[in-house]
Amino acid sequence: MTLPISIQGLKKNFDQKQVLREVNLEVPAGTVLGLLGKNGSGKSTLIKCLLGLLRTTGGSATIFGDDAWNLTTATKAQLGYVPQEVVSYPWMRVRQVIAYTAAFYPTWNHQLVDRLCRQWQLPLEDRIGPLSTGQLQTLGIVLALGHEPDLLILDEPVASLDPSARRHFLQTLIEIIDQPNRTVLFSTHITSDLERVANRVAILRDGQITFHGELDELKDRVKRLHIASRQPLPNSFAVPGALQCDVEGTAATVSVADFDASLVPQMQATWDADVTVHDLSLEDIFIEMHEQ
Amino acid sequence: MPTNPIPFEIHPSSGVPIYRQLIDQVQALIVGRKLKPGDLLPSVRNVAQAASINPMTVSKAYSRLEADGIVERVRGQGMKILKTTPSGTRKQRQQQFRKLAEPAIHRARQLGLTDDEIQNILKGLLNETAEESKP
Repeated sequence: MTLPISIQGLKKNFDQKQVLREVNLEVPAGTVLGLLGKNGSGKSTLIKCLLGLLRTTGGSATIFGDDAWNLTTATKAQLGYVPQEVVSYPWMRVRQVIAYTAAFYPTWNHQLVDRLCRQWQLPLEDRIGPLSTGQLQTLGIVLALGHEPDLLILDEPVASLDPSARRHFLQTLIEIIDQPNRTVLFSTHITSDLERVANRVAILRDGQITFHGELDELKDRVKRLHIASRQPLPNSFAVPGALQCDVEGTAATVSVADFDASLVPQMQATWDADVTVHDLSLEDIFIEMHEQ
Repeated sequence: MPTNPIPFEIHPSSGVPIYRQLIDQVQALIVGRKLKPGDLLPSVRNVAQAASINPMTVSKAYSRLEADGIVERVRGQGMKILKTTPSGTRKQRQQQFRKLAEPAIHRARQLGLTDDEIQNILKGLLNETAEESKP
C-alpha cells in the first residue's frame, strides 16, 4: 500500500534563508502524528510543501504516492486540510459557505456536518466577516471533515480555541480515528492535546526532523536523573548522552535522551551517589531537547 | 455480563505514558476488588471517548494486560478479567514483598514508632484484610 505521506530529503529556501534543510518523514496509514517545533521551526512551511501550496527547493513529497505539486483530483478528494488561518468569503453566511464547499464533493456527509455545527455551536445564519478567530477555525475544521477524508492535515488546529472547544475538537478527532485507515497529521505547540491523541510524534528543529517515533517510546527514553553524591562531584562529571547537565556541589540534575535502566547502578557506583529517575511530560521533553 | 463503566483518571501530561496509566489503574482496581474475575473491561471505544484519548492507546494497554495474563480476550464480549495466579517462585515473591515493605518500615521508624507498634499494626492489617483476600 502507498503511504499517506512520504517526504524524502525535502528542502525549502526562501531567498537566501534555508527553512527546511533535509526533511525525511514517512507516515503510515492509521497514524495520528503530532508535529512539534518551536515558532519559526518550519512546521507550516513543511505542511504547505506537502500539500503543494509551496514549491519545494529540493527533494520530494508525496501524498498517497502522488507528487505534492501535481496532486490528482482523486488524491485531493481523500485530503482534508485546515490552515493556521482560515480564510473564507466574508460576505457569505456560515450556512452558505458550508453548502458552497459541499457542492465540490460528491461524498459530502451532511449529517456529520449538521451534528458538528450543533456540537460546536456554529452560528449558521451569521456572516463570515465578523466571526471570531476561534469560530473561523472551528468552521475550517468542519469544512475539512465534511467529505470524511482519509488524510487530515491540520496546522495548529487548536491555537485559537478555548479549552472546551479544544476538548470538542479532540473528541471529534477520536471519532474520526476510530476507523483504522484514517491518518492525521497535526502541528501544534500545545503538548497536552498532542499527548492525548497522538500516537507518534515528530520534532522539527533547525529544518530537520530530530525525532520521529512513538510518543510512548519518547517518554520511556527521555528521563531526568537526580544525583545526590556523598562527596562533591568532580569537574569531570559527565553522563553519556546527556541533553542537560547541572552540577552544584554534591548534587546534579541530568536529563538523558536515551535512558537505559543499567545507567543507574553504573552511576551509583561511579559517583558514590543516590540516583533517582523522573518521568517527564512531553512539554518538559520538548524544552530539554531545545535547550541543548 | 454487563460492563461497568470505569472512571479512568488519565493525566496526559504526566511523564507516565497513558497506556501504562491505564494498566496501573486496571491492576489497582483488581487489587481493590472493584474488578473481579469474570468482569468485563469497557470497550476500547468507550474508554477512548470518555477519557478523550487515542483508541490505539487503549488497545495497546488492553493487549499488554492480555499478554500479562491479567485479562483474556473473549470473542464478541471483550476483555474479561482472569483469576490471578501468582507468578514466580515463592522466594521471588517474598523478595518482591520485602521491597514493598522496606520503605514503609523506614518511614515508620522516622515517625518514631517502636518495633512492637509496627508489628502490631502489621498484624492488625493482616487480620482486617484476611476476609478480603479469600477468593
